Amino acid sequence: MKQDRYATMKNTILACMILVPVIPFILVLGVGYYYFTASLESSTISSMRRIIEDHRQMIDSFLRERKADLEFILNSYSYDTLADPGRLPDILTQLQKKSSAFVDLGLFNEEGIHVNYSGPYHLAGMDYGQEAWFNQVIKEGYYISDIFMGFRKIPHFIIAVKREDAEGKRVLRATIDTHTFSDLVKKVRIGKTGEGYILNAEGMFQTERRSGGNLMDKDPDNLRHTSDEPITKTFSQKDLRGEDCFFATTWIQEKKWLLVVRQEKGDVFRDLRSASYLIVLIAVIGGGAIIGIALYLTDRIVRRMEEMDSEKDRLGEQLIRASRLAELGEMAAGFAHEINNPLQIMKSEQTLIQTILSDLKDNGQIEESEDLSELEDSVRQIAIQTDRCAGITRSILRFSRHGESRAQDVSLQTLIPEVVAMIEKKAGVHGIRIEQKIDQDAPSVYMDSAQLQQVLLNLFNNAIDAIIDKHGVEGGEIIVDAVRSDDANMKITVQDNGCGINPSYLDKIFTPFFTTKPVGKGTGLGLSICYGIIGNMGGAMEVNSEQGIGTIVTIRLPASG
Amino acid sequence: MEEMRIMLVDDEERFLSTTKKLLSKKGIDLLTALSGGEALEMLNSHSIHVVILDVKMPGMDGMATLREIKRQHPLTEVIMLTGHATVESAVEGLKSGATDYLMKPADIDELLEKAEEAFERRKRLEEKIRVAQTRLSMKTPREILRETE
Repeated sequence: MKQDRYATMKNTILACMILVPVIPFILVLGVGYYYFTASLESSTISSMRRIIEDHRQMIDSFLRERKADLEFILNSYSYDTLADPGRLPDILTQLQKKSSAFVDLGLFNEEGIHVNYSGPYHLAGMDYGQEAWFNQVIKEGYYISDIFMGFRKIPHFIIAVKREDAEGKRVLRATIDTHTFSDLVKKVRIGKTGEGYILNAEGMFQTERRSGGNLMDKDPDNLRHTSDEPITKTFSQKDLRGEDCFFATTWIQEKKWLLVVRQEKGDVFRDLRSASYLIVLIAVIGGGAIIGIALYLTDRIVRRMEEMDSEKDRLGEQLIRASRLAELGEMAAGFAHEINNPLQIMKSEQTLIQTILSDLKDNGQIEESEDLSELEDSVRQIAIQTDRCAGITRSILRFSRHGESRAQDVSLQTLIPEVVAMIEKKAGVHGIRIEQKIDQDAPSVYMDSAQLQQVLLNLFNNAIDAIIDKHGVEGGEIIVDAVRSDDANMKITVQDNGCGINPSYLDKIFTPFFTTKPVGKGTGLGLSICYGIIGNMGGAMEVNSEQGIGTIVTIRLPASG
Repeated sequence: MEEMRIMLVDDEERFLSTTKKLLSKKGIDLLTALSGGEALEMLNSHSIHVVILDVKMPGMDGMATLREIKRQHPLTEVIMLTGHATVESAVEGLKSGATDYLMKPADIDELLEKAEEAFERRKRLEEKIRVAQTRLSMKTPREILRETE
C-alpha cells in the first residue's frame, strides 16, 4: 500500500519533471525549425525571383537593342544601298562592331526574294515568300525566331524587321548568335544546383542546361506556366529525377520564350539540414540529460520522503511507546500500592493461622496427622505465594518510580568493572567468560550511577540467563564494550552468545510484564525499567538479536562535558 | 524497666485486629488506631513508646500524623509503614523524624524486631536524658571551687 503510494508519487514527479521542460524544449526546436525553413524558403524564392527579373530585363533589352539596331540600319540606308552587295558587308561590319552577336545580314524584297546577303553562307537569290516567318514579318513588322542550330552547329536565332515606304516593303534579317545572352543565362548560379535556362513556348531548350538538356531538346520537367498566368511565377515541383526543386519562371520575348531558374530544394536546405542534425543531436542530448536528471532527482526526492516517513513513523512509535509506558507505569504503581494492603492482611492472617496451629499442636489439642501436615504445608504455601506477590508489586513500583535521580558524572571505566565484579561469580559458576573492552580515554556519562548500575546488572543477568539457556555451563561469553560513538554520545554494548530472542518478540521486549521466562522466574519488568531509566537520561536503548546466535544490547548515553 | 507499649496506626481494621491477636500471643499488648486523629488522641491518653504508622491513610495521612506526633511527643519513636516500596517516601519520613521504615507486606517478626530496636533507642535516649539531668543537678568540684572564689 505504502509502496504503491511511493510508486505513484514517483511516477507523477518523474512525469512532471520530464514533461515540463521537454514540451517547451521540443516546441522551441519545432517552431524554430519551422520558421527557419519558411524564411529560408521565402528568401530563396525571392532571390530567385529577383534573379529571374533581372535576367528577363537583360534578355529583353538585348533583343530590343538588336531589333533596334536592325531598324536603325533599315531606316538609315536606302533600299538601293542595302541591295548593293558591295555595301552590305560594310554595314554588317558596322553592326558587328556594336554587337558581336550579329552573324549575317540579309535583305528581302516584298516577294520574299533574298535580294542581298552578307555572311558566311550563300543564300542570296533564294525565295522565302512562302516561309511562315516572312509572312509574319510582313504582317507584324518584325519577327524573332526560336533558336535553331545553323549549318555550323552553333545555336542561332533570327531577327527580321520590315520597312514600308514609297520604295515599297522590304525586310532586313539578321542571324544572331545566342552565345552572348545564353552566357548571361548560364552564368546564373545559385548554391550548387541553382541554374538558369530558356525554353520556347513548346518547352524546347533554347539554351543548354547545366544539369543536362541539350539545345532544342524537349524539357523533361514539363513545366506549366501558361501564358495567361502572371508573367513571373514561382513554384516547386519534382523534376525528372524526382528531386524536389524550386522553380522561378518568367515569360520573355513577348511570351515566346520562358526563362527558368531552378534550384534543388536539398541544395537550398543543405545548411538547414546540417543545422537540423545539430538540432536533433542537441534535442537527444538535452532530452537525455533532462530524463537523466529527472530520474536522479525523483529517486532522491522519493527516497528522502521515504526516509522522512519512516523516521516520522519511528518517532511516532517511540512517542506512543513512551506514553504507553508512562501510563502503564502509573497504573501499575497505583495497582501495586493497592495490592500491598490486602497482601499485608493476608500475610498477617497467615501468620496468625500458623501461630494458632503451632499453639494447638503444642497444647496437644490437635494431634499430629497427615491432614495436619498437609494443612501446615498449605499454610506455608500461602506465605510463599504472598511473598511472591510482594516481590511483583515491589518490581512494579520500582519500574514506575518517578522519583528524582541524582545525575552526576559517572566514569564508565570505573562503573563497568564494578558491575562486572558483582556478577563475575555467578557468571563463573556457569562457565561464562566476561570480556571488557572499555575505551580508557572515553569521557564520563552524566547520569545516576545507581540507576546505570541497575541497568547494567539487569542486562548482564539477562545475558547470563540466555547463555545458560543455550550453552549450559561452558562456552558462554559476554562482551561489554564502551566507546565514544560521536561527539556527544557514549555507546555501551552488551553482547552475549546466548539463545537470542525470537524475532516475533523483538518489538515487545520493552513492554512491561512481557517475559518468556518460566512462571515465577521473571516479572517482565527488567528491560522496561532499563528502557525507562535510559530514556529519562536522554539516552537510547536498542536490542539486536538473532535467534540461536546471540543478542546485542546497545545503549547510547550523552557524554558529560 | 517498663514494658514496651506499641501502637499500630492503619486504616485497615482487619490488619489491626489480626496483628493485635498475634502480638498478644507473644505477650505484647498492642494499641491500635484507625486514623491519624485517633492515634494522636491515644498518645495523649496512654503512654506509648513506639508508633507504627501507615503512610497512606484517608484523612490525615501518615506524613502529617508523623509531624504532629513528633511535635507533641518528640520522644515517641515512629516507624513508617509504607505500601510504596520507594526509597523516596521512606527518606522523607526519616527526614521528618521517623526512626525507621517498613515495607508492606511486612512480616510480623520483622515488625516486632524493628519495634524493639526502636524501643531500645527510646530507652537509650531516656537514659541519656536522665543522666544529663542528673549531671545538671550535680555540680563538679571545679565548679564548686569556682563559685567559692
